[in-house]
Formats: sequence, C-alpha cells, structure tokens
Amino acid sequence: MRYIANTDQQKREMLKEIGVSSFEELIGTIPEEMRFRGELDIPGPLSEAELEEEFADLAKRNADFTSLKPLIGAGAYKHHLPRAIQALLGREEFYTSYTPYQPELSQGTLQAMFELQTYLARLTGMEVVIPSVYDGASATAEAALMSLRLTRKNRIIISSTLHPHYRSVVETYTAPHGTEIIELPYQDGLVAGPRLEKVLTDDTAAVIVQSPNFFGGIEKIAELAGLAHARSALFIQVVAESISLGLLKTPGEMDVDIVAGEAQSLGMELSFGGPYNGYLGARKKYLRQLPGRIAGETVDRDGKRVFVMTSRAREQDIRREKATSCICSNHGLNIIASDIYLSLLGTEGFYQTALLNTRAAHYLEERLVASGGFERVFDYPFFNEFLLRSKKPLPGIRASLLEAGFLPPLALGAFIGDESLENTALFCVTEIFSREKLNRVTQLLST
Amino acid sequence: MKLIFEKSIKGRVGYSLPADRIEEIRVEDCIPPYARGRKKDLIEASEVDVVRHFTQLSKFNYGIEDGLYPLGSCTMKYNPKVNEHLAGLGNFANAHPFAPADTVQGCLKLMHDLSVLLCRITGMDAYTLAPAAGAHGELAGILIIRKYFEDRGEQRSKMLVPDSAHGTNPASSAMAGFKVVELKSNKSGTVDIGELERLMDEDTAGMMLTNPNTVGLFDGRIDEIAKIVHGKGGLLYYDGANLNATLGILRPGDTGFDIVHLNLHKTFATPHGGGGPGAGPVGVKKFLSPYLPSPVVVFNGENYRLRDPGEKSIGMMRAFWSNFSVLIKAYAWILSLGGKGLREVSEASVINANYVLVKLKDYYRPSYDRFCAHECVLTGRDYKKLGVKTMDIAKRLMDYGYYPPTIYFPHFKPYAEETMMVEPCESEGKEVLDDFIAVMIKISEEARSNPELLRDAPHRTRIRRTDDVLAIRRPILHYDDELRLKDELNYRPEDINF
Repeated sequence: MRYIANTDQQKREMLKEIGVSSFEELIGTIPEEMRFRGELDIPGPLSEAELEEEFADLAKRNADFTSLKPLIGAGAYKHHLPRAIQALLGREEFYTSYTPYQPELSQGTLQAMFELQTYLARLTGMEVVIPSVYDGASATAEAALMSLRLTRKNRIIISSTLHPHYRSVVETYTAPHGTEIIELPYQDGLVAGPRLEKVLTDDTAAVIVQSPNFFGGIEKIAELAGLAHARSALFIQVVAESISLGLLKTPGEMDVDIVAGEAQSLGMELSFGGPYNGYLGARKKYLRQLPGRIAGETVDRDGKRVFVMTSRAREQDIRREKATSCICSNHGLNIIASDIYLSLLGTEGFYQTALLNTRAAHYLEERLVASGGFERVFDYPFFNEFLLRSKKPLPGIRASLLEAGFLPPLALGAFIGDESLENTALFCVTEIFSREKLNRVTQLLST
Repeated sequence: MKLIFEKSIKGRVGYSLPADRIEEIRVEDCIPPYARGRKKDLIEASEVDVVRHFTQLSKFNYGIEDGLYPLGSCTMKYNPKVNEHLAGLGNFANAHPFAPADTVQGCLKLMHDLSVLLCRITGMDAYTLAPAAGAHGELAGILIIRKYFEDRGEQRSKMLVPDSAHGTNPASSAMAGFKVVELKSNKSGTVDIGELERLMDEDTAGMMLTNPNTVGLFDGRIDEIAKIVHGKGGLLYYDGANLNATLGILRPGDTGFDIVHLNLHKTFATPHGGGGPGAGPVGVKKFLSPYLPSPVVVFNGENYRLRDPGEKSIGMMRAFWSNFSVLIKAYAWILSLGGKGLREVSEASVINANYVLVKLKDYYRPSYDRFCAHECVLTGRDYKKLGVKTMDIAKRLMDYGYYPPTIYFPHFKPYAEETMMVEPCESEGKEVLDDFIAVMIKISEEARSNPELLRDAPHRTRIRRTDDVLAIRRPILHYDDELRLKDELNYRPEDINF
C-alpha cells in the first residue's frame, strides 16, 4: 500500500524484536468479543488513476463553477485570487506542519501569524487581534460569550440584519447559558438608533451589528456603539466582507469594543462554504478573555527577535475547563493565505480593489433599476451587495442567468422567510465583473 | 528575518486590476461620510518580493516531508499529494455554498457518501460534517448530550472526564454548560472502575473517554464502563480524535459509545496546515440523530439536498455546511486504502509505536510498562537528577533534524511526569525509526556526559530557545506595538536578519 511504509517482512522483523509472535498479541488487552471481525465495508483500494477518475466524475455532477460568475455573496465572496497564493500555500513546510508549539522549528507559521495580526489590527483599528478561529460565525459566537464573561450580564441584542447563519451559531453557543437574545428589527434595511434605544437595558451585555450588513447596507456604527455604551453594554461589529475595510472607517475609529470578522475574502476560495477563517479584534484590556491562539514577539537566547505563541494561559491545553474556549486547531493555513493576499495587494491594491467593488456594484444597481425590471427595496448606502425587487418572477431570472454563465443572486424573501421581501434578490458584485459583463447581466435581465 | 513591513518600498506594486475601474461612479456618491474611511497603510512590494518573502518564511518551518514528526496524539502522517490536487478541482474550489442544489450535486454526494463510510468505520448511525475541528466536534457532541436530556425533561449538571484526557474535553464540557468532574486514572493507566462507580450518578450527563487513551493504552473494560454510565442513564462519549490504532479493529459504535467525534486532520491524513484547518465530524447512534446540528445531507434516491434536522437540532455550529475541501481529502484517503488497507494502517502504526517503545524503554522509562497502541509515552524522569529536563531532550532532538515528540502531555501524577509522547505513524519505515532510536540513545548518553549541551540546545536551528516569559511581560502583539517600543527594543540589524 503506497501510504504505508513497511513491508510484511519488515513488520515480522519488528514484531520479533518487540518480542511477540503476532500483531494480535500486541492488542491482547482488547477483549475478543469487542473486536470488529471481518473487513470494513469500504470501497477500494483505488489506484491513483482510479481515484482521479472517481473525483472527476463527482466534480462533473456540479455545474461548471470554473466559468460561472457569481452574482451572489451572502457571506461567501468570489474575488480574484492571485495564483501566487496557492503556489506558496503548496509549500509543504506551510501545509504539512503542526501547530507551532516548538518555536525553533515554526518561525514561518509564527511570523505569518504576527504579520496578519498587524494587517488586521490596521484594517480594524483594534489593539489586539486573534488571527484565526474557525469562521466569521463562530467568531461572532465567541465574541458573544466573551461579552457575557466581561460584563457578567446575560442579555444580548442582535440586529436582524446579521447573517442568519451567524445568528444561529450565536444561539447555539449561548444556549447552555440561558442567554436572553433580543432581535432588533431593521428599518429601511438598517438598524435604527431609536429602535435600539428602546430595547437597550442596563442588563444588556452586548449589541451585535453586522456592517456591511446581510442586505449589503452600511450601518451607522459609531452612533449605535455610542448608544450601547450609554447603557454600559459592549458593542460587537461583525464584518463578513473584509474587503469593505479597504474603504470604510475602521471599527476602532467608531468605538467598537470587539470585531468578529470573516477573512474568506482575503485569499480564500469559495470551496462550497469552507474552510474560511474567522478573526477577533478587541481592546487590549480584553486580551485575557479572548479565545484562541495569538503570536507575540520576544527574543531568543542570542537576543534576536523571534515569535512565539503567547498569552497561553487562556487556552484549553493549559487551563482545561477554565479556558476561555475549547478551541484548539484553528484555520492556521488560512492565516498564511490572508498574509500573502494582503501583501500582494498592498496599500494601493487593497484600496483600489475595495473601490472597484463598490463602483461595479453601484453600476449594476443603477442600470438594473433604470432598466425598469427592478425596483429598490431600501434607500440605504451599500458596499458591494444590494437588494432589489424583481418585477418578474425570480425562477425565470434564475434560469436565464445560469444559462448565460452567471450564478443567480440570493432569493432573499424565501431564504429568510420574510413575506415582505417576496421576490427580492440580494445581488453581489465584486471586482471580477467587467463593465461588459455587467452590461450583459443588465441586458439579460431587462428582456 | 525581516517582517514584510520592513521590506516595503514606496511605489512598488504587486497587484493587478483591469484598466477600466468604472471611474464615472464617484465613491462619495456610494459611501456616506459617516462610514467613509482613509486608505489603510499596508505595504508596497512587487510580486516577486512577496513570493520570495513567503518562500523564505516557509524555510523557517519544519514539515512532514522534512523528516520524522513524531508528535504524540497529533498523528502526523504523510499527506498524499493527489488529495491536494483533488481538493483543488475547479468545480469544487469555486462552488458557492448558496448555489442551487441542482448545481452542487457532486459536493452533496461526496458529503453524503463520506458520512456513510464514517458510519461504517465507527459503527455509528448518522454523522454531521459541520464541525471545523476536533474541539468544535466535541462542543457539538456535548451540546447534543445537553439537548437530549433537556428534551427528556432531565436536569443533569455534571460531565465525567478522565485526568488523562485532552484539555479540549473539559473545556468543551464547560463551554456546553457542564460542571467537569475529574476521574483519576488507576495504577495501570486506565479508568479506575471503583472511582467511576462512585462518581457516576443521576446528576451526571455522561462520560468522555479516549480509547486508546492519551498514555497510549487500550482500556479493555469498556463494557463495564458503558454498563456503569448507561446504568445511571448517562451517555458515553468517545473522543475519536485519533483512531490510528483502531481502524478495522474496534468500532466505538459496537462497544457502547453513543457519540463519537473524529479529527479528519489526524487519522484521515488531511494536512494540519500549521494549526488547521481540519474537520471534526460527529457520529451518533440513531436515537440521537434528531439532535445533530443543522443542516444534514439527505438523498431521496435521485437527488441530494441539505435539510434542517428539525426542532430538536442543536442549531448551527458554523456558517454554511462544512470544511468541504478537507472532506474531499479525507474521502480520497479512505478510498485509496479500502477496508483492508484501513486495518493495515492501524496494524502498521501499532507495530511502529511498540517497536520504538521496546527499543527505548531502557533509556527513557515509560509511564506504564505494557504494550502500547499507536503511540507510546516515554519519560525523561531519570535524567532530572542530572539537571536535564524532558524539554532539554526535546530541544536537543532538533539538532539532529527531528521535530520533537509531544512533551509534558499527558501530565498527571504519579505516572505521567516528564512525559514524551511518541507517535510514529504508518507512513514511517523501520529504517527511519531505527535512525530516530539511535539518536535518542545518543542523547541519553549526552545527558550523562555533557548535560550542558542539552540544557543549551538547540544549537543548529535557525533560532535558539525563546524567552516566553518576556513575551508575556512585554506584550508585542503586532508590528505597530514594536514600532511604539522601538527605542526601548534597540534591535541591531543582525538581530533581525539571520
């Protein structure tokens, strides 16, 4: 077998050296009646050629996603990924290594963590950043749990414009704590300050608002954070589309306490939903309540600058049941993907990419509305996603888009079960759409 | 090595965008002043600058292809190249998670079929593939236990966890709202049945067990354990993070376990990625399947689709469905081996571990002197009197080109102290182990003849031992922290360019 090294002859020699006559003798402590008898009912073994054929057949059962251009985002965004990312991630020193417990042999991983912590601190304006939890949704849930520990209160207000999956994960994580979760209704696609004021109480641990929100709208974060702080609640901003940070004020500038972000847009494939990468930013004084690994700078015995995993007394392998979270493995390789992505784009490239996203999205939105086939649902500012109501039934639109090589937008009303949003489509446009392609979309949807 | 920020040269460009930037649309008309921010300062570098930087960074790491990586409990086995290729197939890598079900039948079939194979391998009835890692799977599993009792109208507040368990076990139990009760190991390194009988009561929701446990030993009395736990109405949880000793030999589902989680990035050969991403599927017996997280993949004989398991479900554990590209690699690995091959994996890894144990037990007295499973726990306790710690032995191994074993885990008195946990997976050949054994023996000689050499190790790595206390006392958690402290730090150029 190609992945098992020793030959039968070698195994026999080794058993002899161990001092047993058979493998069975080695597992003698497992009672006979408990053992699995016979052979596992698993297909294979497949040769490498057969394996490739099997997976090519599976891949063919999907639509041709290599050419389909998505007009859908909703938490998973198709951006152009420079080829250098995958080429560099394919270096075995990155992808086959373990968690950097031994810094002498792990400086590559550790320095990449430190670099991404720097990038994300600059993009979010936060003082400390945990560069990887699992994804944006679990980051949001961890931020919610953090707020319960920090405030010793047990009530959380969640904007109804938060990604429904993120909301569901917050509910799952807080269920054992009996946390009261209040849904904050939206008004014209955004959270309304007066509505927030109405539900804010002194026993509120945190207010969670996503911006740009699930409908694409850009929330008035500074105003909302101010309202939360007036009732001594923490304010958590969720960032599901991190490219928006290229253009928008940092959460730090807007007095946000904790940022729960999703870094998928920063160098990751869509990959049918994962693995993506969540990150958490916070004020430095909250460091001890943050979950997950963080790299820090120190020196080695020769006085040279080096990097280590630090502030480890929060983690499960040291604190066991008193740890801030059970998280152990995170999405480490995705840290390196984002470090490479942001390094390649650089200051100007990241800004220009964000700019092109919003321009292309506004270009299509204006044209679709002008075409007469769609109308605006909300009067709100948006980044690269927007909601329109179609005058024609959505299934027809879906079919014509797929046929022309576009993945259709999300049918929002059906997705979130809101009748008032019937026949609305949540569009996403990123920098991968040229003017010609956007004109083509407009033409398809106007006829 | 310099940070990428220290390599920035004004005006350099590493990105490419189309010439037509739709400039007639003004950003001022899109983004209102309350939200419009300034340009963020990142770096300026050409593509080749960036590529060289990361190539250089990679050389400061040690991967499986550099040599033996005998980290106990981590299952560092070879990650087949073809699996990386398969995960990168365009129709998988570019599939949007909200694409209509009829456009992602390939993805859904793969998830469905992988679940079926995992059921057969572990003897369980249903799986969720949602959890992103082992500890995430544990959390899902314990939340399932919580929901099960809630549904039955029972209030149970405690969870039993052996002292030999991974830290994730008590942490997951606590995160799911249980009070953790520690169960001491007995003299032979396994569950103390008397202690279990004493502690298991009707306020205890269940017990988490790793078998073979973290000292590398099979606990043969699972049936007794199951009887005691089930006898009080509790559920038995199997930490299957590492199945490398039991494939085709012992199935948790046949031996009384109600829930199991697996780490695909251990047993199933998907790469660790310097910390992840992995995947932590959770398998349950039929009576627990309504509690699985949402969604699950179902097949109606014609089509595959995602379905919410209903109101008993614990809810979602993450956004979207799974760490899909990791699932591809695990599925490919299983098919490469087939049923017979999977058993051979466990045979080969158990033989490898016992070979190392037998060859080294006179030099590094093991925690328990009995045959081990897929990993053996040696100790450096006899060298303490020479002033040499297990840490020093581990660091010295680096000088000989090895990644050290897991050290100081497991850690409990009186047996598991100064531990070194060695897990030589099935992908390692006898000659590789013979070299490792020879080096370990040489180090034991050095510990006697020149202990200073070990205390000061490593000598041949790119960096020396690190000052972890300083890192905590003077936290520098990103480059801007360093810039603020620049005068105080006063690094010389040679301190950065090594």
